[in-house]
Amino acid sequence: MSETKVSWMKRFWAVVRYEMLWNIRKKMFIGALIFAFIFATLNIALPAALGVSENPYFTVTFSVGSFVFVLFAIVTGAYCISGEYEKGTIIPLLTKPVSRTMVFLGKLFAIFIVILATYGVIYTYTIIGGLLVYGPQNSLHLVPLALLGDILSTFIWVGVVIVAGTISKNSLLAILTTLGLFVALLFGTSIVGQLSDNPGPLNYIPGSGASGTMNVMTGQNITISTVTINTFAATTTGTDSIGVNLIKATLYPDANVNFYYTDIQNLINPNSTEPPRLLYSESITLIAVRSAVFALLYTEILFVAALFVFKRWEISE
Amino acid sequence: MDYTIETQDLTKQYGNLVAVNKLNIKVQHNTIHGFLGPNGAGKSTTIKILIGLLKATSGSATVLGKKVQLDDADSRLRIGYMPELPRFPKHLKGAELLDIYGRMYGMNPVELKEQISKLIELVGLKGRENDLIGKYSKGMQQRIGIAQALLTNPELVILDEPSMGLDPVGMVEVRELIKAISKDGMTVLVSSHLLFEVEQICSHVTIINRGQALVSDTLENVSHKISGPVSIQVEIVNLNQKVISSLKELPFVKEITQKNATLNINLNTREEVREKISQTITSSGGIIVSMSMKGHGLEDIFLELIKSQGAKK
Repeated sequence: MSETKVSWMKRFWAVVRYEMLWNIRKKMFIGALIFAFIFATLNIALPAALGVSENPYFTVTFSVGSFVFVLFAIVTGAYCISGEYEKGTIIPLLTKPVSRTMVFLGKLFAIFIVILATYGVIYTYTIIGGLLVYGPQNSLHLVPLALLGDILSTFIWVGVVIVAGTISKNSLLAILTTLGLFVALLFGTSIVGQLSDNPGPLNYIPGSGASGTMNVMTGQNITISTVTINTFAATTTGTDSIGVNLIKATLYPDANVNFYYTDIQNLINPNSTEPPRLLYSESITLIAVRSAVFALLYTEILFVAALFVFKRWEISE
Repeated sequence: MDYTIETQDLTKQYGNLVAVNKLNIKVQHNTIHGFLGPNGAGKSTTIKILIGLLKATSGSATVLGKKVQLDDADSRLRIGYMPELPRFPKHLKGAELLDIYGRMYGMNPVELKEQISKLIELVGLKGRENDLIGKYSKGMQQRIGIAQALLTNPELVILDEPSMGLDPVGMVEVRELIKAISKDGMTVLVSSHLLFEVEQICSHVTIINRGQALVSDTLENVSHKISGPVSIQVEIVNLNQKVISSLKELPFVKEITQKNATLNINLNTREEVREKISQTITSSGGIIVSMSMKGHGLEDIFLELIKSQGAKK
């Protein structure tokens, strides 16, 4: 076989197919899919159970959810490099005329396609659910933006799990590292975001980021105990909310998000009437663009690091 | 002369452990070259360097005229490789695996389909090609391993312990298969610890131990090159003193010891002398019941070389 006649693209697609078949035939993947559908169903049903009967913005403010992002990142990414090493399948693969860069990029592209298709199905399900439960839905043409935002959010975690797996050559360790980081960031940023008088740095950390309220109350109000939340106005700034924030910014580019400081004493004391103190306001457009840019940056850094390590692997076993 | 594989002082070290130690081997075009050595001799490490999975600490290797480098995808277009105890993705079906691997070589779908069907038949997996590899036995995985190595009719096929995990019938089939592909013009490097396997199929052999090539030549020359005692055991009816005296007069007989009706004749040559010994015994009135020779087989040479290397250390 001549060395020059074989196109890069043909070989690349073979790697993509190889990885896609692996992903969709995993029992873990089927399990994650079932979980995602249960989660989406709860998202549709819970507001209705709390008394919301109409919400034209239900679908465009829907997100697959940060735990689902991590779940699919783990299911698709945890074994994609380190799993090949653990199972020994890396040897026949890397002795084919495919470079490690091609293997790495092919696998990433396959993960992208699998996640795109999965989220696409979940969003379709949500559109139908939204129409049936909350009536006619506005701005459905913006759903692809939410889909892409959610994929970007997921790819940060794909990057985390792949880099951990490539460095450790251990898939279990990669999963635990990713879950640990996710849980730490989830609780850490939530607590800091609520109680700190300077939540700004959270905007630059992967995860939920800082919480604020948008000055557009288009959605429905949901009241739980004494707290009322507007489904459209509640905004988080982190990389887990790129999709929703991009839609909000598209619909209301001039809107602002207000960030408040809540004194811990007021939270503990149920008789406190002191309102939360406004810290600062930020444009929703800035928030959406900044989180997308940072997500791209994190993803790129993580993938470049993983590829750097993978290219230097010596396969001795 | 150009060689399919040529290494120069190839060395691979893991900390203080020297897995391959200034190894020099040459594999000629269109030969079946046996790569023989005990477990841990450095065979698989050498092969992994040749195929680009490991980087040599020092020295160099050239395969099909190209200097071997870690992660050189294009150079692998002309090489088929079956790893030792190959493990393939369990989620793929046998035919699917060959199809994906074939596409990695850039084969066109029509050509690939024909080749897969031919190879599935050749390695005895007809009827099981659409089963998941996860359901394959170890022997079947070995067979699909051979098939994937031959997908593109490569110029060089490297088989690392191809008979491992196969039943006796499978082992014979694999040996026949290797002989057949060599006739198609392929160069085959077979790593094995099975001496009889190498002896039966290879025209050339490199014996390696502790990362060093002890000998590398044609099987015939290796046999001749090795000095050391060769002995013949003869069981004789009517064994008498005249037979022993006549044998002692032969110039190539070094020493004779007797145990009941069996003579052990130590020789100082590796030439074929059984006919002369037979004639001498018969003409002296002895009747030969059985005759066997020790010291000419690859097993003897191998053990001798390993022993002499151990003595040098």
